[in-house]
Amino acid sequence: MSTPALELTGLKKSFGKAEIIRGIDLSIGKAERHAIIGPNGAGKSTLFNLITARFPPTSGTVKLHGESLAGLEPFQINRKGLSRSFQITNIFPKMTVFENVRCALLWPQGYKYSFWNLVNYKRDLTEGADAILEQINLLERRDLPAGTLSYAEQRALEIGITIAGGANVIMLDEPTAGMSNTETDYITDLILKVTEGKTLIMVEHDMSVVFGLADRISVLVYGEIIATGKPADVRADPRVQEAYLGAALEAEH
Amino acid sequence: MTDQITTDPSKPSQRMRAGSMTITVLPWVAGAIALAVMPAIFTSNSALTIMNQMWITVVFALAYNMLLGQGGMLSFGHAVYAGVGGFACMHIMNMSDFFAAMPLPVLPIFGGLFGMGMAMIVGSFSTRNAGTVFAMISLGVGELIAACSVIIVAFFGGEEGISGDRTYAMPFFGNEFLQQIDVYYLTSFWVLVSAILMYLWSRTPVGRMANAVRDNPERAEFLGYSARWVRFYSFTASGFFAGVAGGLFAINYEILTEENLNTASSGVILLVTFLGGVGFFFGPIIGAIAFTLLQTVLSLQTELWAFYAGVLFLATVMFFPGGLAGLLMMHVPVFKLGHARSLVMPYLKTLLPAAIGLLGLAALVEMTFHFRHAALGDDEMTVFWTTFDTHTILPWIIAGVVTLVGLGIARATAPSLKEAWSAANTAPPVTTAKGGAA
Repeated sequence: MSTPALELTGLKKSFGKAEIIRGIDLSIGKAERHAIIGPNGAGKSTLFNLITARFPPTSGTVKLHGESLAGLEPFQINRKGLSRSFQITNIFPKMTVFENVRCALLWPQGYKYSFWNLVNYKRDLTEGADAILEQINLLERRDLPAGTLSYAEQRALEIGITIAGGANVIMLDEPTAGMSNTETDYITDLILKVTEGKTLIMVEHDMSVVFGLADRISVLVYGEIIATGKPADVRADPRVQEAYLGAALEAEH
Repeated sequence: MTDQITTDPSKPSQRMRAGSMTITVLPWVAGAIALAVMPAIFTSNSALTIMNQMWITVVFALAYNMLLGQGGMLSFGHAVYAGVGGFACMHIMNMSDFFAAMPLPVLPIFGGLFGMGMAMIVGSFSTRNAGTVFAMISLGVGELIAACSVIIVAFFGGEEGISGDRTYAMPFFGNEFLQQIDVYYLTSFWVLVSAILMYLWSRTPVGRMANAVRDNPERAEFLGYSARWVRFYSFTASGFFAGVAGGLFAINYEILTEENLNTASSGVILLVTFLGGVGFFFGPIIGAIAFTLLQTVLSLQTELWAFYAGVLFLATVMFFPGGLAGLLMMHVPVFKLGHARSLVMPYLKTLLPAAIGLLGLAALVEMTFHFRHAALGDDEMTVFWTTFDTHTILPWIIAGVVTLVGLGIARATAPSLKEAWSAANTAPPVTTAKGGAA
């Protein structure tokens, strides 16, 4: 088997005495869509933050394409091709929608910290950003300040920013949180479309989204993964049903 | 994806590019013409001095806004970089052989380089954070360097500062910069070049990311940019242009003292920038012009000019956080909707009485000041071309009545102005986002 896109070994995180993540081993293959589910407080967002170096882990390693990410800063991890969104919408509210996306293109297109390029005159940036806007259906909102968009549009914009750089590992933290059904469907389709051929790791509460999108599911309960597998297998796992899914599925029907 | 490039005029990206050329070049041409024509309108030497001071403040304020407005870094010690640049230029002026081989217009570049060097040293540790930590470090460094001026006398010249003579430079096409007007054109050249360069900087990748880091440093980090390095580059560039301003100061005044780099000067530039408006590129330019006029013209009229400047600053912070530029730009949507005409009368009805009321209030302030501080027996004073005795009751009553009536009318008409304002702004959702990105 080829090297997994993302590999976690023995990952642990404690805040003081509280152990939030208690040893996670997980391997996610290339071009796999992987969902992480679990009850509130299970440590899903913490796990995300450990992978992207928002916090340092207490122990254990994270490997991206077989390469350890230990000691790297978030911006260095991003440059290695891992991009993420946040649970709370995290965009540049005062800048225009177009500029939000263009900012996401600057580094991947090699502009770095240059002060001899004028961004307005770079066709690849303008057209690249417009192409992304078209993909996320925000072309009409192009010149509005991002902070004035509706909630669903801001979430779509954040997904646009996350994928714009062409990262091959995409992490989405509750992309449909707080959305109506139609908005959820819209975002789900969008995620399917933009992550084609890429590795996707997402935390999600909405089971219909999870089962509609994911190739494999991991269930996180109290900082441990109690099951990993295909949606049907996970659904059938009695431990999972007991811990989390049963209640959620019952509530849905 | 095809490689074929079609120029579809309806495509937003193309439209923007075609439009941006004319929009961006025009103000610069207008600015250059204004700079060139000004001395023909204001011919006196004192007017030239005031304008020189104004343009130097423009460069400094624009440099400061690279941090405050564009990078979201509040610095309380930015005079250090202008000061260090200025002192370096004074020393170069005093290096007779080297200076004699250098045309004077080149000197501000050296000011810039020294300002930049200083900014790189300080920025290497101060830009790790924005916010309070950055502000505190800038304040500390500002105090530290100001204190150094009496310790490192060789560089800062102690209490009397460093002075020199600009005319020892190599003649520049036969010009030795003896006249004020020559210095004016040198300063004008540099203010134009610096402003253009700073504007272009804001359009580069690192300049755009400065905005991104200001708005959301965490997001910027997850886009591949180190917030710290972005801040460092902004800080360095800002230090360069502050140093240019310092160099221009050295050329104009031929003396630099501790006053040029102390915290009071740093406070003034913060005030100037905020007054003009940090949200727009041209804000600091307006701020520098307005403040220099207050400082020079108003100070000839009254000893209390700093009091009025303070009031103006407070009013700006409290009521118009966008500054003078924000106040101007607020009207752009109204003009675009074609409703500007409907605002003229309501403005006259409210602002004219308000202005009269404020002048009445100013008269009261001046009278109080005169009453308390004038020499014994000197009971007469002149306010608004009227001479009267402050120890009689009548002037007080008149000023008080003017104040009350003026402000009263303004207050009574304010609601209708508000109505007219919202009526003028009512139209399909306003879609202006340009300009705010500066």
